[in-house]
Amino acid sequence: MKSPDIEAWHRTSPFAILFFFGKIIRLITKNAWQSFAPLFAFLIAYKGDLVSKLILGGSVAAVALIVGAVLSWLFFRYQIHDDSILIRSGVIKKKQLDIKFDRIQAVNTQQNLLYRVLGLVTVTFDTAGSAGDEGNLPAVTREFANELRKNIGGRKTAKADDEGPAEATEPLLKLDWRDMIRIGLADRRALIIVAFIGPLMEQVGNMEQVGDNLEKSIENALLSANLDVSQLDVGTGTLIVVGIFFAAVFLLVSVSIAAAFLQYHNFELYLDGRTLRSHGGLITRHEHSMDIEKIQTIRLQQGVVQNWLGRFRMTLRQAISGRKQRSQKMFTIPVVTAELADNLRPLLLAAEAGRLTQNPRAERFQAISPYHMRSRILFAGLVPAVMLTALLVLEVGIVGLVALVWLPLVGLVSWRNWKRAGYLHDDNEIVRRSGLLGYRTVSLLFRKVQRVTISQSRYQRHKKLASLRVYMASGSVRIPYIAHETATQLRDYILYKVESSQRAWH
Amino acid sequence: MFQNPEIALSELPGTDDVQWQTLDPSYKGLRRLQNSLGIVAAAVPLVTVTVAANLPLLPAVILFACWILLAALLLTWPGISLPKRGYVLRDKDILFRKGVIWRSVTAIPFNRIQHVETSSTPFDRKFDLATLQLFTAGGSSGDLKIDGLSTAVAEQLRVFILEKAGASIEIA
Repeated sequence: MKSPDIEAWHRTSPFAILFFFGKIIRLITKNAWQSFAPLFAFLIAYKGDLVSKLILGGSVAAVALIVGAVLSWLFFRYQIHDDSILIRSGVIKKKQLDIKFDRIQAVNTQQNLLYRVLGLVTVTFDTAGSAGDEGNLPAVTREFANELRKNIGGRKTAKADDEGPAEATEPLLKLDWRDMIRIGLADRRALIIVAFIGPLMEQVGNMEQVGDNLEKSIENALLSANLDVSQLDVGTGTLIVVGIFFAAVFLLVSVSIAAAFLQYHNFELYLDGRTLRSHGGLITRHEHSMDIEKIQTIRLQQGVVQNWLGRFRMTLRQAISGRKQRSQKMFTIPVVTAELADNLRPLLLAAEAGRLTQNPRAERFQAISPYHMRSRILFAGLVPAVMLTALLVLEVGIVGLVALVWLPLVGLVSWRNWKRAGYLHDDNEIVRRSGLLGYRTVSLLFRKVQRVTISQSRYQRHKKLASLRVYMASGSVRIPYIAHETATQLRDYILYKVESSQRAWH
Repeated sequence: MFQNPEIALSELPGTDDVQWQTLDPSYKGLRRLQNSLGIVAAAVPLVTVTVAANLPLLPAVILFACWILLAALLLTWPGISLPKRGYVLRDKDILFRKGVIWRSVTAIPFNRIQHVETSSTPFDRKFDLATLQLFTAGGSSGDLKIDGLSTAVAEQLRVFILEKAGASIEIA
């Protein structure tokens, strides 16, 4: 940073108070809500002048929060050096955080509605294997954030003497409203909620009063419409239940589509030199960036809905430090087609690799041994099914045979899993495919591997098969049930690639 | 001068003819000792329950038969499983194998090792043993533990591996 006051302590904009306000509230809701529960109970149980008490308690809490936020802002200061950033914070418990630029994996920014109006952003530094503290710079100007990002990213690109500052690059990807609907439809949370709400809704529908009232009102409506109600009597109840169910599904899907708009509206993906950037969001704008050198695995994933839509969720994973949540170490492209993903891959892998396809429907995938399916059916299907059936038949009689249903179920799942498993590789990378309802493909560069394990069960040894597990800094990838010889050859080749590599894996 | 010769898969060094180093023989004794302590500790509640609940003869016999069976297994198992464990130091990596029914061979290249740790429990120290742990990037799943090494060997390995790992500092 070429500013003259390099070693001075800076304070962020006073609007950062808002950030600290939110942070304190989050801290309270996370850690102390249990202790607030009795307070609420007390307030509810007390019938006296509840309103005035609430007002008093509320205002005291509000004042305390505001004072806390202002103090946090006053005590939050930072310094920017040539190769690191120093952050001091804490009112009572002082904290100093020294983040070396080298360790920063990504610089992410967030911008809520107010900040957007004011041209401010909150910067988050994503560091590799740090002691758990994430660095935040709340409410700094957008220009400052950009310059900081350029400085941090620039240190590496300068070494690799790539192209200069690429300002107005074309976006690699733009998502429109149709994609938002796709994201919303594919939201797994919506499906889960439907599964839970479905039966619940049915109960509500069965509740006599509600049912009666609804029936009556519908009857009235039908009567006024001059229809013969007696014919509809039987169906009315189920009609209502089904109606409520579909209404709930519709509501949930709309909510998740709205959530997709909130998070990804106007999503755009850019590649600036060696830094991948994305931004999007309706009210709060999220901006993420990742150094493409740091990508450990590239993953394409789809559930049932995305399988129908022919779309995938693409995630780029970087090294995790064990303590931190995996999701924080991912760069997500919420919806892509397989073709687009295959076009992005060579860019992300920077001419090193990327000739392979990650499209699960490609013909080139090599199958794994069918013994994978057989051993599953044997050990997870047949043995438990027989044991359970025997037990049940002894206990409850012939009805116990129902347990045999387990067997075809396991058989079906194992067959599907085997059918969808596969791998393909070239000199530099390997792609693994798996899946049950949708598909999942993961690719990795051989030279970034951390370690390799070959394992064999007794059954596999008998059939001259083995499973290969490749450990990356972002987690492991397993290729089960391939020929033992192939597995050792691959292992030896991976070791050769890693050991002869002169480049950093991170 | 940059060279990039083609490498045939069959010419890559394999692991078929490597000399596996076994763990320290006294480790078997230690594991047996630890297991027998566990067996004795398990006998206490067993006897208490039998006496206190005044169990009939048959369940009591079954209970103790199970106990004896378990004890026999725990005492013989180290003799079966520990000889299967072994490691090989190569110029550029370390291999570690283990397993009786599920066998596995793990390979860690030295240039991926983040740090090395040796540790020993009071039990270990009585037997002059130590555990060597190799850490690679990628969180808790990313480490290899070799227990039952003699203290001297563990120390030698630690120094050797650190030196190898340090020598392979890469160009960013």
